[in-house]
Amino acid sequence: MIIFQVSTWFFVLSQTWGTLGYPLECKDEQGSSNRCISIPLDKLFDRVIQHVELISRVSEECCSLFEEMLVPFPLQPKTSRGVNICITKAIPVPGSKSEIQQISDKWLLHSVLMLVQTWIEPLTYLQETLNRYDDVPDALLNKTKWVSDKLPSLEQGIVLLIKKMLQEGFLMTELQQTLTHFNKQPEVLESTLRDYTLFNCFKKDAHKIETILKLLKCRRNHKLSCLLY
Amino acid sequence: MATQWIFLWLISSIGCLAADEVITIKGSQKLPHFTTCRSPEQETFSCWWSVGDYTNLTGPGMLRVFYKRSFKNTGGEWNECPDYRVGIENECYFNTTYTSIWVPYNLELRSENKDVLYDERSFNVEDIVIPDPPVNLNWTLLNTSQTGLHYDILLRWEAPPTADVAKGWITLIYEVQYRAVNDTEWKVMEHEKESYLSIYGLKTNTIYEIRIRCLQLNFDKFSRFSDIVYVYNFVPVTKESTFPVAFVLIFIVVGVAIVLMLIIFTRQHRLMMLLLPPVPIPKIKGIDPELLKKGKLDELNSILSNQQTYKTEFTNDDLWVEFIELDIDDPDEKLGHSDTHRLLSLEHLKSGKSLSMKDDDSGRASCYEPEIPEMDSLPFNVNLMEGNPEKACVLNSEGTVPNPDLSSPNATQAKAEPEKAKIESSGSEENMPVRPYPLIQTQMSNQSWANMDFYAQVSDITPAGGVLLSPGQQCKSEKTPEKEKPAEAKKYQFAMTSDSAYTSEIDAKKLSAIPATNENDQNPEKDLSKENCISTENQSEESPYTANETTVITMPPVSDYTSVHMVDSQHSLLLNPTAVQTKDMSMQVGYLTPDQMSSIMP
Repeated sequence: MIIFQVSTWFFVLSQTWGTLGYPLECKDEQGSSNRCISIPLDKLFDRVIQHVELISRVSEECCSLFEEMLVPFPLQPKTSRGVNICITKAIPVPGSKSEIQQISDKWLLHSVLMLVQTWIEPLTYLQETLNRYDDVPDALLNKTKWVSDKLPSLEQGIVLLIKKMLQEGFLMTELQQTLTHFNKQPEVLESTLRDYTLFNCFKKDAHKIETILKLLKCRRNHKLSCLLY
Repeated sequence: MATQWIFLWLISSIGCLAADEVITIKGSQKLPHFTTCRSPEQETFSCWWSVGDYTNLTGPGMLRVFYKRSFKNTGGEWNECPDYRVGIENECYFNTTYTSIWVPYNLELRSENKDVLYDERSFNVEDIVIPDPPVNLNWTLLNTSQTGLHYDILLRWEAPPTADVAKGWITLIYEVQYRAVNDTEWKVMEHEKESYLSIYGLKTNTIYEIRIRCLQLNFDKFSRFSDIVYVYNFVPVTKESTFPVAFVLIFIVVGVAIVLMLIIFTRQHRLMMLLLPPVPIPKIKGIDPELLKKGKLDELNSILSNQQTYKTEFTNDDLWVEFIELDIDDPDEKLGHSDTHRLLSLEHLKSGKSLSMKDDDSGRASCYEPEIPEMDSLPFNVNLMEGNPEKACVLNSEGTVPNPDLSSPNATQAKAEPEKAKIESSGSEENMPVRPYPLIQTQMSNQSWANMDFYAQVSDITPAGGVLLSPGQQCKSEKTPEKEKPAEAKKYQFAMTSDSAYTSEIDAKKLSAIPATNENDQNPEKDLSKENCISTENQSEESPYTANETTVITMPPVSDYTSVHMVDSQHSLLLNPTAVQTKDMSMQVGYLTPDQMSSIMP
């Protein structure tokens, strides 16, 4: 009887280990220079989601500012006739809730991480290229710079999330090999259109990251209800 | 024949080719077009179109919608609308299977045979999200103010049921608007992420209407407004509402008064210095300023005579008396040191009146310190000069004089200082008349200590170079009924001694301050005639002051008093330049060199 009770206790505790947000022990990897931060998982989720929401909002503001700047220019195709020309098109994320809910945490998290990592370089490029425009508003420059500075920290947060949720180690080296490097050469699009497309694509991807993380959070907290479609 | 067929075939083929091209008809009529495309919850969406003016195309199937979603690199393929809904407006509905977000859609409105393209649209589904309005608005009363005029409510609502906010698929923020029923404008609250909001400061007995709408986070398309909810709080109005106002006002006034009182009492010094700067009053150490006022000289003298500090002065009597008696016996000598006489003499000057000094005073009329060594027979002490106004020489004078100017006695002292120095240097009593600065003490020798005032105002300088002190001293021998008016036109004689290495400003000012008297000629006569009361006398010929006997410098009325600023190395008093006020002539403040003084002198 006692053994049964003890075993049930162990069982219950182990089940709730992840869902209760019990502060995980901090384990330093060898050779890792990261500080050992002990933070409950749900708090970490909240912080990362807050971060992404802010980035998403700023990216949306950048888009509108850029559009206003281009007002004198007649050429303003919305999505370039529907062709998906975003640089992250290689990272396949389904676009419906049901499909996403069928994908594992691991895949989702890795996709999110790849998205973030892909955008670090193009945003730096955008920062520089904006200076070539006449009458570029300071707000746009500042916001672009802000976002460009924030992405690495978002990347860190997601890596931490991966560590906590998946108990995985430092996998960044693996993932980077699959990234498509940003091609700085102008493609068929002219530079203004390319920049405009970049802004729009980034806005879309930020929203993507935000949505995926929120779904993951729900899944984490309410396992049963979130999986139900 | 064959060529004709070939030609026809060519034309037909060309025509067939041409038929594949899109032909957009333009004209004055309104074409069929998409009116709006909307997704309520980011999981489905619909597009509506209208036939425009082409009413013949109203029937089902007359217009067709084709869409294409671009996945990855592939352009995708064109499909027809999965669900044509026939309602008020023509609608094409895409359910969850056909809806993908983050993917560009292209829609086309074509004619039945796909030949004619009427309209096209491209968008991402997340960009066309227009949520449903929030539901289930309700409110609860939080509290009512004490006055009964205002109250607060807590407003609650729910997200639209279609939006899957729980799972985080879509994030909505809400905008609450409210207004009193009579108002025309809605008050817009800040965007709210939660499903509740507190509204403060609503007025009682007023009906309010509240409505809410929502939009997706980081997007810009608002939903429709929710149903209006009415808020009303009835509070009976009582007259007591006016009472607290008066009470509060009284309380505030009392509180402010208390605070001011506290400030005044606790920070007394600073505030008092600001509001009521202290008025300098005459002070002698150990002597009540009251006694310095008019009519109390006897008491003052008695006090002073009784004080220990001054007792030692008596020890110097003999020396002084010796000193002085010699001088007084010699009328010439008297003239020689008439300056000091004048400086220390307190007799007020009228026309022809001269200062009278108490001859029986053995020099104690001048101020001196107990620390003076016996050898130092000078009545003045350097220490005294150095800014110790309380020990200032007090010369007897009538009531008018002892007022809070230490400047004049200091001035007089200062005048005497160089003389003292001279005296010291000379060391010989007989040399007194020879000195350029005659000892004032000589004049005081006949005066008793008790009768001496401690302050003297230099009121004039005689043409002979004598200093006339203003009235205030009780002159035993002579009472001068007249009182010199300090405001009278002053003439004085000023002869800077060439012996002195400098001409102190004191001299200049004192001399200027001396009210001019026209009795310069008479003065020497008076001096000679009087023993006790010594008026300004003509200086001896040896005195440099007498160099210009008859020269009179008419000076405009200047201030009668100067305050001693400091004593320089040569035992001269530097008067505070700011105390001098020259009206007509700007006296040079500071040292006046002999050259300058001579320039001033006519």
